[in-house]
Amino acid sequence: MNTDKHGFKASLLRHETVLLIVVALEWLYFNSVGPRFGSMDNTFDIIRHSVEIGMLALVMTPIILTGGIDLSVGSLLGLCAILFGKFWRDVGMPLPLAALGTIGVGALAGGLNAALITWLRLPPLIVTLGTFSLFRGLAEAITRGVDTFTNFPASFLFLGQERWLGIPAQAPIFIVVAIGVWLLVHRTTFGRSFRAIGFAAEGTRYAGISVERRLAMVYVLAGIVAAIAAITYTARQGQAKADAGMGYELSAITAVVLGGTSIFGGIGTVHGTLLGVAAIGILNNGLVHARQPREVAGMLTGLLLILALTSSSFPKMLATWRARRQTSIAKTPVTT
Amino acid sequence: VKKYFRELSVAGALAAVLLALAIFAPAFYQPHPLLSLLTREAPTLIVACGIALVIICRQIDISVGSQFAVCSVCAGLLAAEGLPLLVAFLLSVGIGAGLGALNGVLVAGLRLPSIVVTLATMVTLREALRWKRQGVFVNLPDGVQWMGLSQVAGQWTLIAVALMLLVALAFATKHLTAGRFVYAVGTDAEAARLAGIRPQLTTFYIFVVMGALVGLAAMMNAVQSPQVDPKSGSGLELKTIAAAVVGGVAISGGRGNLWGVFAGLLLLACISPALTHLRIEAYWEKAIQGAIILLAVVADGMRSRKQGQSHG
Repeated sequence: MNTDKHGFKASLLRHETVLLIVVALEWLYFNSVGPRFGSMDNTFDIIRHSVEIGMLALVMTPIILTGGIDLSVGSLLGLCAILFGKFWRDVGMPLPLAALGTIGVGALAGGLNAALITWLRLPPLIVTLGTFSLFRGLAEAITRGVDTFTNFPASFLFLGQERWLGIPAQAPIFIVVAIGVWLLVHRTTFGRSFRAIGFAAEGTRYAGISVERRLAMVYVLAGIVAAIAAITYTARQGQAKADAGMGYELSAITAVVLGGTSIFGGIGTVHGTLLGVAAIGILNNGLVHARQPREVAGMLTGLLLILALTSSSFPKMLATWRARRQTSIAKTPVTT
Repeated sequence: VKKYFRELSVAGALAAVLLALAIFAPAFYQPHPLLSLLTREAPTLIVACGIALVIICRQIDISVGSQFAVCSVCAGLLAAEGLPLLVAFLLSVGIGAGLGALNGVLVAGLRLPSIVVTLATMVTLREALRWKRQGVFVNLPDGVQWMGLSQVAGQWTLIAVALMLLVALAFATKHLTAGRFVYAVGTDAEAARLAGIRPQLTTFYIFVVMGALVGLAAMMNAVQSPQVDPKSGSGLELKTIAAAVVGGVAISGGRGNLWGVFAGLLLLACISPALTHLRIEAYWEKAIQGAIILLAVVADGMRSRKQGQSHG
C-alpha cells in the first residue's frame, strides 16, 4: 500500500476510496428502505443538517493532523450562538455587525485555547476539556439556563432554511470553508508543516518552522469557524439556546477519524473528512427514514468511531505481531 | 513539605474556602445539609480515585459518567427483580468491571488513544441506555434505600465506605508493588517495560479497576433515593477529572496522590453550596468548574516551565 501510491490497484485500496464505496452503499441501502430518501428535498435536508458538523470537522482536520485535539468546538458553538442572539436582541446591533462580533468572540476563544497550548505547552486535550466546560458554562450562565433567542427576521432565517440559486442557502458558506481548508492543508506549506508537527514536533522546530505559531493558527481558525457555524446553526434552527451544538465535537472528531486522519497526527486528508461528514450525515438522516429512533443514530456514530479506530490500527498490530513471531522463529535455532 | 507543595496548596485553598464560608455564610455548617453534601459526594470520591489512577497511568477515561448510568440502571433493575442487595452490589461492580475491560482492551490491546476510545464508549453507552430505557426511572423495592438502615445510619455508612476505600487505595498506590507499577507506567512506559513491568497489562487492569469502582459508586448513589435516574452520572467525568487535576494529579502522568484528589474534590464540592450561600446564581457552576480546571493546569504548566528553565 505504501510502496506505490499511484497505481490503479493501490488507489482502490486507499482509505478514501473504501470510504466512498461505503458511503455509496449506505446511500443505496437507505434509498431502498425509505421511499422519500433519495429525493432532492431530502438530499438538501441532509446537506442543511451536515453544514455545522461539517465545518467543525473541516477545521478539526488540521488540528488532528498536528497531533492535537479540540474538544471545545461544540461548546464554543453554543456560546457563540448565545452571544450572537445577545448582540442582536439586547445590545441592539444590526445582524451583520452581530455576526462580525460573534466571529471576533470565536477568534478570541480559539486564541485562549491557542495561548494555553502554545505558551504554557499544556496538552490540548486537557486545555480544551477545560474550555469545553468553561464555554458551555458561560453560555448557561449568560442565559441563566432558560433564556432563548427567537424571532429573528426572515431575511436572516433565509440563510438557514431557504434556497439560494437552487441550493440550500448555507451551502455556499460551507463550500467556501471546505475549499479554504483544502487549499490550506493540501496546497500550502502550512499544510506540510501541520503534518510535520504531527509526526515530530521537535524535529519540525529544528527544521526552522515556528511550531507555536502554526499551532496557534489552527486553534484560532477552529474558533472562527465555530463562530460561523454558530450563525448558520441559529439561522437553521430559528433560535439560539445554551445547549446549541452539544455533542458536536464528538461528531466532528468521528467524521475526521472516519475520513482516514490518524488520531496520532501526521496522516490525513481534507477530502477524506468530507466523506466522513457525508457518511455521518447520511446515517443520521437515513435512520429517520428507516423509522429508527434518534438514539440509534448517536449509538451508531459512537460504534462507527470505534470501528474506524480499530480498523486503522489493526493492520499495524498485525504487522508488529508477525514481525515479533518471525524474529522469535529466527532466534530459535540459535538458542537450541 | 516541598514534595507535597501542590497537595498542601490545595488543602490550604480548601481551608480558606471553609473559613470564608464560616465567616460569611455560617448557615453552611448546619449538620443536616452538611451530612447530605458529604453523602452525595461519597460516590463521586470513589470515581475520582479511579480517575486519578487512570490519569497517573497517563490515560484518561471520559466514559465514567455513562458507565455510572448503565451500572445504576442494570443494578436497579436486578434489585427490582428481588435480588438481594449484596448481589446487586456485586453485579453492579461486575458490570462496571466489564465495561472498563472493554475500554482496556481497546486502549491497551489495540493501542488506541484513550481519549477517543472513551469518547466513543461514552456516547455509545449513553445512547444505548436512552434507546433501551427511553428515560424511564427504575423504581427500587422497599428496603433498598439506605440499605434498609435509617437515613442517618445509611449516610454515615456510605461516607465510611468511601473513606475506607480512599485509605485503602491511597495505601495501595504508595506501598504495594501494583500501585507503584501504575506510577512507573505513567512516568515512562518504555522504562517500565525494561524494568520488567508489562505496561499494556497494567493499563488494562487500571481500566478494569476504574470500571469496578464506577460500578460500586453507581450502587452507592442508587441506594440514596427510592428511584434510579437513568440520567444519573452525567457530567461525572468532568467533575472527577477536575477533582483529580485540581488535587495535583499531573495530566502528563506519573504524578499525584489520592489525598490531593480528596482535597480537590472537597474544594469543588463546596462551590455549589458556597454559590447559593453567597447568593450567586447556580448557573455559574459549570463555568467556574471549567475555570478552576484551567487554573489548575495553568499553575502546573507554569511550574513545570519554570523547572524546565532552571534545569536547561
